[in-house]
Amino acid sequence: MKTRYTKVIRDLTSSYSKTLMLALAIAVGVFGIGSILGCYTVINREMATNYLSTEPASATIEFGGIISKELLDSVKAFPGIKKAERRATITARMKVNGRWHPMLLFVIDDFSKMEISKFLPVSGAQNPDTQSMLVERTALTVMQANEGDEIMIRTPNGEPHALKIAGLVHDPGLAPAWQEQAGYAYITLAGLHQLGELQDFDLLRLQLSENAYSRNEITKKAEQVADWLKEKGIVIHEIQVPPPGQHPHQSQMNAVLTIFTIFCFMILILGSILVATSMATLMVKQVRQIGVMKTIGGTSVQIGSLYLLMLLAICIIALVVSIPLSRLAAYGFYTQIATLLNLEITDNTIPWTVPSIQILSGITIPFIAAAFPLLRGSRISVRAALDNYGVSAKSNPVSFLSRLSVINALSDTFRLALRNAFRQRSRLALTLGLLAAGGAMFMTALNVSEAWDKNLKRIYVQRLYDQEIKLNDRINPDSVIDRIKSMNGVTTVEGWDYSSSSIVRQGNYDVTKTYPDKGHGSFTILALPVNTILLNPTIVDGKWLSNEGTKEVVLNQLARTSGMKIGDEISLSLEDRPTTWKIIGFSEDVGSSAAAYVSIQTFEKLNESTDKIKMIRIGYVDRSKDYAAAKNREIDRLLEESHISVSSTTPVWLLHNAVAAHMKVLVNALVAMAILMAVVGTLGLTSTISMNVLERIREIGVMRAVGATPKKIRSLIISEGLTIGVLSIVLAFIVSIGLSYFMGEFIGHISFRTPLTLTISLTGILIWILIVTVGSYLATILPAKRANIVTTREALSYE
Amino acid sequence: MNREQNEIVIELRHVTKSYPVASGSFSALKDVSFKIDSRQLVAITGKSGSGKSTLLNVITGIDRPTQGSVLINGIQVDKLSESELASWRGKNVGVVFQFFQLLPTLTILENVMLPMDFCNTYPKKDRKERALSLLQMVDIKEQADKFPSSLSGGQQQRVAIARALANDPSLIVADEPTGNLDSQTATAIFELFAKLANSGKTVVVVTHEREFASYFENTINIADGVIVNAVRVHA
Repeated sequence: MKTRYTKVIRDLTSSYSKTLMLALAIAVGVFGIGSILGCYTVINREMATNYLSTEPASATIEFGGIISKELLDSVKAFPGIKKAERRATITARMKVNGRWHPMLLFVIDDFSKMEISKFLPVSGAQNPDTQSMLVERTALTVMQANEGDEIMIRTPNGEPHALKIAGLVHDPGLAPAWQEQAGYAYITLAGLHQLGELQDFDLLRLQLSENAYSRNEITKKAEQVADWLKEKGIVIHEIQVPPPGQHPHQSQMNAVLTIFTIFCFMILILGSILVATSMATLMVKQVRQIGVMKTIGGTSVQIGSLYLLMLLAICIIALVVSIPLSRLAAYGFYTQIATLLNLEITDNTIPWTVPSIQILSGITIPFIAAAFPLLRGSRISVRAALDNYGVSAKSNPVSFLSRLSVINALSDTFRLALRNAFRQRSRLALTLGLLAAGGAMFMTALNVSEAWDKNLKRIYVQRLYDQEIKLNDRINPDSVIDRIKSMNGVTTVEGWDYSSSSIVRQGNYDVTKTYPDKGHGSFTILALPVNTILLNPTIVDGKWLSNEGTKEVVLNQLARTSGMKIGDEISLSLEDRPTTWKIIGFSEDVGSSAAAYVSIQTFEKLNESTDKIKMIRIGYVDRSKDYAAAKNREIDRLLEESHISVSSTTPVWLLHNAVAAHMKVLVNALVAMAILMAVVGTLGLTSTISMNVLERIREIGVMRAVGATPKKIRSLIISEGLTIGVLSIVLAFIVSIGLSYFMGEFIGHISFRTPLTLTISLTGILIWILIVTVGSYLATILPAKRANIVTTREALSYE
Repeated sequence: MNREQNEIVIELRHVTKSYPVASGSFSALKDVSFKIDSRQLVAITGKSGSGKSTLLNVITGIDRPTQGSVLINGIQVDKLSESELASWRGKNVGVVFQFFQLLPTLTILENVMLPMDFCNTYPKKDRKERALSLLQMVDIKEQADKFPSSLSGGQQQRVAIARALANDPSLIVADEPTGNLDSQTATAIFELFAKLANSGKTVVVVTHEREFASYFENTINIADGVIVNAVRVHA
């Protein structure tokens, strides 16, 4: 081995702790990139594999009437149609622990011949009879049951009926049941009839043989089929065309993982800057050695190569440590996300591109960051190198610090510490930048986390009711409402109405983006008393409803499309008929799907349902979950006694929990990333302080020679660290506000299509202050100790 | 020793070296011209700040003259680029510093091998043997595997001399090589320099220690950047 390489190895090994610290700074970023990209690639692949394995329907036609087997066969033979299947989806209820909970019943034509929207068998029977059902595996927790148990189920028009869980299935096209706080079961049509529902299939699922990934083509083809069915006497209610081949959560997941990846690259960039600064400082420390090497024949290229080699070695150590660990972390992360998305990981392979990107970025980014300082350091002239005595005479404290020195209130030590902190201003700027970026990201993560929770609480602020009951049929409200009102603990009861809707555009049919779970992508008209006291809408533009008889509408953010403005007219389908409304306001709802709010009086008039309601919203004196649950049971009994057929009941606490479950893992991941930033930031501080001390070891010797006690020196160094720490906190706080605003916009938009309220987390600030203070203190202990161990003679002769 | 029989190793022609200072410029060397023959042990003497170190730096190419030219073995070094200078210096000039300047993370042996590595002057397999022979020559071979910090000042300076000889340069320059050593060790170092001059090297030493004047064949005395007396030198 060449002698110069021996120097590289010895320089690295002579200071293990420093080498490892630099490697750690890079490793943290590379680890983050590997974890997130590993997770990203696996989830992306598995999401597509899982979802496409279900043979998702390209389009679903919601119809009225009966599609016979013969008619279905004709649809299957329709040009451009690959597969067609009849289905029905019923919103029912299930009894768990004495309480009725929402449930979706998927009615399957023939379990043994499913071709579209399939699910995968998990265990037990896969062909239920009329007394049993198959259950989606994630629904067991919500049902609090096991395979073989019986669950009491009540359909809108039927009596409670016990169905046995004959088998379990996995349906990757559905969000986990615990997330939606609903049960999912699959039954036969005969089974549905057994439950008291007389209806037939009302959904026709289609899959196209060509252009299966073009929403326009799918819509066109579905409309052709609908036209044809219409000619055969079938009533077409709606055509549902969800984004083709795309899992309901695909776009959100991609967006979140993309921003996480960007965060990780930022961590790597900051870590690389730290390494570059450290390497540059090492060169400053070794400047005489550089001068000597040049004197004995070393060229700038040879010397620059030595330090680049040293950097390469640090990068390799970082990669060796971080790549295997990142794979483990990616495994943990994608397992969590898979649970969140109800995916079955069929292949754990992280593609080779991920470690390749880690290697490439883990070497390239530090090299780019270090290239300039290293090349500059290696090009130093021999004369400048040999004459170097440490801190340049140009590094004078800035003027305001000079002025600070006349303030008598400041102790001598503190004034000196201030001056020292500002001596190497470029390094100080980098350290401050690093720490501030780390702190800003840390605070941002906690701010966003808190904003998320705060936004969730808005569910309670906007919804002043505690229970929503959807009815199967419109009823005359007076007697029921009066009876509920008279119940102890009930403060307010209002009768509302609703109808599934869509924005009517050119063409014959309502085309929605609704997924088969009826939740994702759905659009509802909510008809309510304009003077409702059970809703506290957040109006972002225009005004709330005030006139009872007018055809005015307020749209929430999910119903609003680009270009819509106050005063526009909009056509909404209402029970299959187009109705025209004037937009008077836009609201921001948390936890709602797309909704259009209209006056119930106008709704009744248009719907010819005067003095009828289809929804009851109730407020209680106590909004706690336990109280609401108990009251809900009483109200369920009352409705049962009144023979009122209930379609679904949704307590507000349930809605809150369902929304919370959607994104919590991702918010937690953001906090985990913040911790990584805290690590890099603290490393940066440790590195700077330790280098500042090393660089001034001669000066410290002089100070000790003129009488400075070890205590004084220690206090000086610690004060210096704390000064940098405090400055970084202030900067971090300022930056975190902008960053939190941006992240809140981003996460809020992909979750609710509304920004999260900018929130300053006091906990975040306090934790960061604690991290920086303790970090600064710990970072200075070692250099302070070292400075005091070196004897005055050694310090003065230090080279 | 007969100068006429020797080649001119160092030739300075009207060399001026100025540095910018707050009040304008300061001339460390003022129109200095002289020649030094090969195989000589030459002293550059003068008070602190007289310009002797600058003169040495100009000779080694560490500093470039503001005016004039410097020829070493016929090569005008002030015209070489930084990279060419490093390579030229490594092969043609051995430099010995007052504070030894050994690389602390390399052993004694490795310190001596390093110039051969940088300049690629000897085959890899021969470098260790050559370094050991040089250490033998300066009487420190038994310390070859030790690190500089474990050696005394005198021993370190011997290693520095061995390192300066690594690429077998014709010219050795030393900047106050004994300034940090006791007189007994200093004497040993000067004896070593005399031995080197006798073996065919040209050795130029910056020193202010008059008690070793007897070792030098020539002395260049410099004051305020001007050569005030030169004994047996082509001034």
